[in-house]
Amino acid sequence: MKATLTPEAEKPRCSSTPCSPIKSTVSGYQILHMDSSYLVGFTTGEELLKAAHKWSGAEAASAEALPSPRAKPIDLGLHRASRVYKTKSRYYQPYDIPAASGRRRRRMPSSGDVCLKSLAMEPSRALHGPLPFCLLKGKRAHSKSLDYLNLDKMSIREPADTEVLQYQLQHLNLRGERMFTRNKT
Amino acid sequence: MSYSCTSREAVCNSQDASSAKKPSSSNPCSSSGGDTGSSNNGNSSRGSQANTSPKPPAAMKVKKGCNSTDVGVPVTTEEELLRHSVITPEDVLGLQKITENYLCGPDENVYNIDFTRFKIRDMETGTVLFEITKPPSTEKSGEKRDLDPNAGRFVRYQFTPAFLRLRQVGATVEFTVGDLPINNFRMIERHYFREQLLKSFDFEFGFCIPSSKNTCEHIYEFPPLSEETMREMILHPYETQSDSFYFVDNKLVMHNKADYSYSGGP
Repeated sequence: MKATLTPEAEKPRCSSTPCSPIKSTVSGYQILHMDSSYLVGFTTGEELLKAAHKWSGAEAASAEALPSPRAKPIDLGLHRASRVYKTKSRYYQPYDIPAASGRRRRRMPSSGDVCLKSLAMEPSRALHGPLPFCLLKGKRAHSKSLDYLNLDKMSIREPADTEVLQYQLQHLNLRGERMFTRNKT
Repeated sequence: MSYSCTSREAVCNSQDASSAKKPSSSNPCSSSGGDTGSSNNGNSSRGSQANTSPKPPAAMKVKKGCNSTDVGVPVTTEEELLRHSVITPEDVLGLQKITENYLCGPDENVYNIDFTRFKIRDMETGTVLFEITKPPSTEKSGEKRDLDPNAGRFVRYQFTPAFLRLRQVGATVEFTVGDLPINNFRMIERHYFREQLLKSFDFEFGFCIPSSKNTCEHIYEFPPLSEETMREMILHPYETQSDSFYFVDNKLVMHNKADYSYSGGP
């Protein structure tokens, strides 16, 4: 459903008619009725986490979508949830890659990278919206390998410090290689 | 902001232990379906069903809930409260923003309070907006916990902008309780848009007989919101959030969360 910037004209209350009873099941709940004039969706934390697990399994294992606490205003015609997820992809090089042709190569994101990806092409994921922070923290507690980056202590409002991440990865992941490099020299 | 309220309500007349479901997990429905500004009064009505032989439900009594006020309540922070062994209603009334963490664990629901049905309606037209029920759980107790122990304590609503135009919404909640008597069951629900407290509601369920099923309706009265605020709420889905705190004998036993979209879409 497209979003509109102007509030809807107030509907006469007597004209609101309930839709046919919707009997669907959401995480063990049975929805008996939902008047689409006022309510178009209901979901639970379990459903959100299942969807998040599903999509993170479909993508790289480490890809996570961070909810933006202050989402930017949404343009007309764009899906809101996809807009919330629309962020920059960050690629960083923990070390210089010597180029055979004289040009520096960029390291492609590996499973250890945290990348924020647009969900514009994933409408079914966007249907659920971003994970709430209270569940995101719990999800992080179960995730692997990225705890040493202390991402949960980073301010979400501030862009990730690429240099800090590079430094941390250099020391934690590439210690052996650097020593090897030193030994070679 | 609204005024404080210290009303105490009578006990419901009859109980229904035979039809009461055996409480399993704390997987409650949020008892608030809407979000607009603070207002005067929330009224609630309550009834429960008889024990052993089925009896018609007792007439629901109208209970007056009210909007809590921050006046005279010391400001508290989530970090402070997390250090408390016991969290009281006065503690949460001082919170200035939505909590990041749950202030109690699911296991602290020692009274096995389980919400089994929830309904919201527009009081002006009687239109039922939403109704949900939870059939008896057939899964094992550990299955749901695999995902996240807090997943069952969060719900998300996707309203249309028209919802923000409503003035009075009645929220009916049905719940069962375990084997322990429940004294002074109380809910404080606080709604925020970003870090602005929109409204705080305070409802008392009163005393609950052990192993009973109870029904209570709370009436939320919403004052008009400014067009600008509504516009912002519509444009920024899920930045409207709520904390629902449940107390027994002035001790926090449950904490649920919800967030809301008013864009009419996911």
